[in-house]
Amino acid sequence: MAGVLRHRTLFTVVALAVVVAAATPAAVQAADTPRRGGVLLAVIGADPPSLDPHQESTFATLQLVAPLYSTLLQTDPYAYPKIIGDAASEWKISPDALTYTFKIRPGIKFHDGSPLTSVDVKATYDKLISPPDGVRSVRKNAYAAVTSVEAPEPGTVVFKLKFPSASLLENLASPWNVIYPKKYLDKDPNYFKANVVGSGPFKFKNYTRGSTFEGERNTDYFVKDRPYLNGYKFFISPETSVRAAAVRSGRAYIEFRDLPSAEVDAIKKQLGDKVAVQQTPMTGQFGIAINNTVKPFNDVRVRKALTLGLDRYTASKVLFTLTSLRDVGGLLRPGTDWALPDAELQKLPGFGKDQEKNRAEAKKLLAEAGYPNGFKLVLKNRNVKLPYQDFAVFAIQEWRKIGIEADHRPLETAAWFADGRDTGSFELIIGPTVEASDDPDLFLRRYTTGDSENWGRYSNPAIDDLFSRQSRTLDHKERSKLVQQLQKVVLENAYYMPGLWWSRNVVHWTKVKNYVAPPNHYANQKLQDVWLSED
Amino acid sequence: MSTYIAKRLLLIVPTLFGAAALVFLIMRVIPGDVALLIFGGDAGGHIDPKQLAAMRARLGLDQPLWVQFGTWLWGVVRFDFGNSLWTGRPVIEELLIRLPLSLELALAATAVSVIIAIPFGMIAAVRQDTWIDYAVRVISIGGLAIPSFWVGILCILLLVIFFGWGPPLEFTPPWVDPWVNLQMMIWPVVTVGYRYAAVTTRMTRSTVLEVLREDYIRTAWAKGLQERAVVIRHALKNSMLPVITLIGTEFAFLIGGLVVTETVFTLNGVGRFLVDAVAHRDYPVVQALIFMTAFSFVIVNLLVDLTYAWFDPRIRYR
Repeated sequence: MAGVLRHRTLFTVVALAVVVAAATPAAVQAADTPRRGGVLLAVIGADPPSLDPHQESTFATLQLVAPLYSTLLQTDPYAYPKIIGDAASEWKISPDALTYTFKIRPGIKFHDGSPLTSVDVKATYDKLISPPDGVRSVRKNAYAAVTSVEAPEPGTVVFKLKFPSASLLENLASPWNVIYPKKYLDKDPNYFKANVVGSGPFKFKNYTRGSTFEGERNTDYFVKDRPYLNGYKFFISPETSVRAAAVRSGRAYIEFRDLPSAEVDAIKKQLGDKVAVQQTPMTGQFGIAINNTVKPFNDVRVRKALTLGLDRYTASKVLFTLTSLRDVGGLLRPGTDWALPDAELQKLPGFGKDQEKNRAEAKKLLAEAGYPNGFKLVLKNRNVKLPYQDFAVFAIQEWRKIGIEADHRPLETAAWFADGRDTGSFELIIGPTVEASDDPDLFLRRYTTGDSENWGRYSNPAIDDLFSRQSRTLDHKERSKLVQQLQKVVLENAYYMPGLWWSRNVVHWTKVKNYVAPPNHYANQKLQDVWLSED
Repeated sequence: MSTYIAKRLLLIVPTLFGAAALVFLIMRVIPGDVALLIFGGDAGGHIDPKQLAAMRARLGLDQPLWVQFGTWLWGVVRFDFGNSLWTGRPVIEELLIRLPLSLELALAATAVSVIIAIPFGMIAAVRQDTWIDYAVRVISIGGLAIPSFWVGILCILLLVIFFGWGPPLEFTPPWVDPWVNLQMMIWPVVTVGYRYAAVTTRMTRSTVLEVLREDYIRTAWAKGLQERAVVIRHALKNSMLPVITLIGTEFAFLIGGLVVTETVFTLNGVGRFLVDAVAHRDYPVVQALIFMTAFSFVIVNLLVDLTYAWFDPRIRYR
């Protein structure tokens, strides 16, 4: 497995280095002498539904609180997807790959002064893997292999597995799995939805809902001489043009998620060398979840017609400059070893390049399903313009060409999660799949029966079986075959409609140093090494 | 006059009670179990009925409706609206963070609108069908036709493109730093004030025109009074009643919040707070904000009525 990781690390690091070096001086920033002080000002496009990353899956939560917490492992801030320690200094994997032993760094303190020990790590992972009643754990299925988490001594944590897991280390490096102090979890497992007690490089300072979120330097941080910044402050604004104007006027120094190419070009034109742009691919795509439990979407012919009606190749041309949505692909990122080869992808419904043929096939399927004149549906969405609403608008006008009229209903973030993820109160809903790394376990678990991210609520034993097998297959090639088979089952049945794979434009003032953008807006958000060359 | 004021003040009590009862009932009638929503629907899979019952008890939802209403009303009297389900902080604290901004925006936009609308509306009426009238009408129709958010975004973009400057992203109260406050608030005030002035200008123009055709104005002219005396002392004062009603209603709406303007200018005002609270199913906040909006309408109506009485003495003797 180590070989697999090395291979993938090398591939992605090289790809990233080429992109970053071409686009920005960021690659050489690390060579400058760091300066202490200053507050990093950033803009963010949404307010978080809660502050507990274990229970949420939006950047709006993670970007705000990631600098306040530690995780057991982490993605190397300079070399995605290499995994390095965070709270853990070292780890050992038993020869049968069923026991993982982690050493916890001594001297880590939570912001309330109490020490971080293996007991806290165990309590955190117990909550993640087996959440108490009434507590959501979005990623619990990623730990299906884990039988127990043990804390034999304060400095040692042991994960015991019932079968080998190809993705355990990547899951333990997930930025979402922040370590909480046990004593607060014991009192109230939902405590961290509205409170923060972490051990990260910054301490919570202030949060005014809908306006700002602030952290200040943790002087007791366990990494010596870090962080460099005195603090960070996010301004919350859902309007893309307002966020772009904030960066353009210097009121904010960075937008971590993405700004559309049109805005980026305008900013570059006005500010020239004062700003840098880091362009990366994205470990995420924007697609549409179909509720398989309601008519007529429980009919595979209707689902296939919908996906056939979506011209992804034209979408890529139209939407890229507006939204950074770029690549046509299946359920795993194009260009990775897990992705379906183009030739195979194009045989699947909605991925053929002859759109007229696709539309004719869609109309035929609709007629067979009893809808020769099409029908009306409701497409729910998140009220975040970029790229949710632009993508939805494109899809709606595409479906009109096969006789389907879609009523677009944008919802506030919390309502969108509630209707899509929690209650299944929708027909179709824009549901992106964005993860902190490319690992198939992260991307594919949402297609298995009963997964909390299975918004479409379908159940197919073949998918469950393939997922389970690939998850415990340590041989990379073998795993890749299973992953591709699983993708075919999902796409042939049109359980979910992938749209386009995203790319990322991170625009920042050049005075922001030492931030290397990974291919998603989740990893590398701790800001411990980031510094400002001037205020 | 004092009897009139006393009567109007006494009327506030049953009006507010009615508003409180209505707000309370609406929040109970709308579908959805608040306790279940707090647990995120069925998100956590099975929810322990004991936990659900405990949550209902914590929120007081296990009590009879009249007890719940009494408890809430007693809290309202003491400015205790409970705690936000989302932040866990008292609703009144959350409200006090946002109210100064919304009040300042409402007051300043009203002031801007009155300063622009009354003189221009009056001049347009007095100089009816001249180029001044046409100019005022075109500009005011523009204010009505162009959406405020578009004017707002345009303001920001022009400032950024031509001056490389953008307004601050966070509200600073005027008593902390008046200069920073001015830098932030001037643009939303201009944006909102323009639209608001457009409505008021048109109303002023049409009411002044109507009054100028009254017999007593002809008498005033016949007596040989100067134009200024006829227009300002006789015509303007008597044409103000509908304008005052309009200003009052618009002002109360402004306190209730301007979601789009607040979003464009990253203002953390009452409007965005209410929309967020609805989205997060934060029902104590929603309840408090709706009541506060009703309260501000009642107070503004009282002020409008008192102003009526000052403008038109007949009202206070009825």
